[in-house]
Amino acid sequence: MSEEAVSGQQRNGRPKTSHHPETDPERKDKNYYGIPPIKHAHWTWQIPIYFWIGGLGAGAHMFSTVAQLLGHEDEALQRASRYTVLVTMILSPILLIWDLGRPERFLNMMRVLKLRSPMSVQSWSLLVFGNLAGLLAARQAAKDGLLGRDNVLARLAVRLIPDRLLSVLALPVGLNVGSNTGNLLSATSVPMWARNWLFMGPVFLASGLSTALSWLSLVLNLTRSGEAKTLRVLHRAERATILVEAVLIVASLARMGRWSKPLFSREVVPLFVGGTLIGAILAPFALLTGRESRGKSIIASLLALVGGLMFRFAMIRGGRISADDPEAYFTFASGESAPQPEDAV
Amino acid sequence: MATGFLTDTTVCIGCKACEVACKQWNQLPADGYEFTGDSYDNTKQLSGSTWRHVAFIENPKKRRLTGDVDLVALAEDVTEQLPGGAELDALGRWAFMSDVCKHCVEAPCQQACPTGSIIRNEFDNVYIQPDICNGCGYCVPACPYGVITQVPEDGRAFKCTLCYDRQRDGLEPACAKACPTNSIMFGDVEDLKELAEQRVAELHNKGYTQAYVYGTPEVGGTGGIGGNHSKFILMDEPETYNLPKHPFLPQEKFRGGVIASAVAATVLGAVVAWAFKD
Ligand code: SF4
Ligand code: SF4
Repeated sequence: MSEEAVSGQQRNGRPKTSHHPETDPERKDKNYYGIPPIKHAHWTWQIPIYFWIGGLGAGAHMFSTVAQLLGHEDEALQRASRYTVLVTMILSPILLIWDLGRPERFLNMMRVLKLRSPMSVQSWSLLVFGNLAGLLAARQAAKDGLLGRDNVLARLAVRLIPDRLLSVLALPVGLNVGSNTGNLLSATSVPMWARNWLFMGPVFLASGLSTALSWLSLVLNLTRSGEAKTLRVLHRAERATILVEAVLIVASLARMGRWSKPLFSREVVPLFVGGTLIGAILAPFALLTGRESRGKSIIASLLALVGGLMFRFAMIRGGRISADDPEAYFTFASGESAPQPEDAV
Repeated sequence: MATGFLTDTTVCIGCKACEVACKQWNQLPADGYEFTGDSYDNTKQLSGSTWRHVAFIENPKKRRLTGDVDLVALAEDVTEQLPGGAELDALGRWAFMSDVCKHCVEAPCQQACPTGSIIRNEFDNVYIQPDICNGCGYCVPACPYGVITQVPEDGRAFKCTLCYDRQRDGLEPACAKACPTNSIMFGDVEDLKELAEQRVAELHNKGYTQAYVYGTPEVGGTGGIGGNHSKFILMDEPETYNLPKHPFLPQEKFRGGVIASAVAATVLGAVVAWAFKD
């Protein structure tokens, strides 16, 4: 049975007369002329890119906050992190609003807070995290003299904005921005995503942290700033995070089971195996082990960053294929495999 | 009072009057001239611009009808005696089913909607407020039956309103009004539930033991959805009508995902803190 016959996408191109599936002895599956029983999300490129930079912002904030709490005061690191988070939090809403069918109504997202709607939780988290990140970046800018040297406002900003307190307050919200991108996908009827509800948030968070660490070390390397220790810590954390990410991806594949097939389809396999498994995991890990050098670190960072983006595209594209496959949905929504209310978390 | 539909597919003749009445009353745009080549049904599926869809299901006696087929001989050759004295020729039979939004009791689309645009109105129907929807499209992959869809030209999501406007004026929905065989019944969900049970019992008595109600917490409205206010009487497996047997409420596991993410965040935090150790 050909893929096209099942997907319902190219049914008109099929030469065979297509009666009901039951009449075709080659087709054992039951469905309505291969037409997808659920509708896929319309999301185009803005969403995977948003998932990528949102995760990056969350990870960068997490690293700088942990550094701050452990008393590792590296100005260059704080600066790089604060401005990174600010830029990601400016770009995120732009991408999200761009993707709306009615962009001028974006404020309706703030009409209600619905804890049961992952999209609502995401919007509110972005709002809170974005504003806190804005305050933190404003303080950083004042400290860096970007708001003028003898400016009263700048001095007030440095004095009045409680850096440590706001960082800690923003941490859980930021982490939620990172992980909720995954939970948002799993709270749908798409088999590949829904099946993996347990690891979807964690894997997106780990991947986001990995891209953030890579980004920070890339910036410090390229600007030749930051303490030697910061870079050492970044590399060590990168290696460990990549390991965690690898474990989570393997666990995800195991959980998805037969519904992980779209990740290995002709369209997605370059993104998933080439981009994610090799580009974001194996290659950077190999480059970061053994003797350290600036060149190797820069290449590893670039690979992990691009790989993180590929991973998000792979998940979104894979989900689309999964939703368009009647066989996948019907096997999933037929009993044992579907999530049950009485299932433990 | 909660209102809903009961669609009895056993009496549907596939005239598509409901589809047309719905398009006309709700002023829905055409979907274009598509020719599927699959059956006489060229509508294919429900969408933001098609709120009733009549599926045409061919049951040609498990025989492969390709190549040289003598249709006249097949039509004259009575192969099966149906309960109640009806005869079935070798061409098989048609099943029709007028599909519509299920108006779920715990509606996944409603839970997904971040703007609060999707509400339950005073008739306990799942209703999208068109002046609030901002077209985020998150309700679309949430619906377990592929009902709700974003209309690209408009940007917003649309689906069956159960003729909210007509109900407010004390009228029944346009599709139910137009249906010539009373395959589409409209009324109080409790009454319809009783009606459905009676009808299924009647069919069982007549020998059609495969008849059952779809849209109960046991079949079709499962997994936390709590049943549907728009039910169907079906004669074949749900998948044949492009319906899931055991759908689930997608938000059911959101809390679990958040807890798992919090654990993961703690682990990753510990990993980063460990990296600082000299
Ligand atoms: S069938 Fe789909 S669109 Fe209709 S109420 Fe249920 S989830 Fe919403
Ligand atoms: S597209 Fe409209 S109705 Fe659907 S979830 Fe978004 S705001 Fe709600």
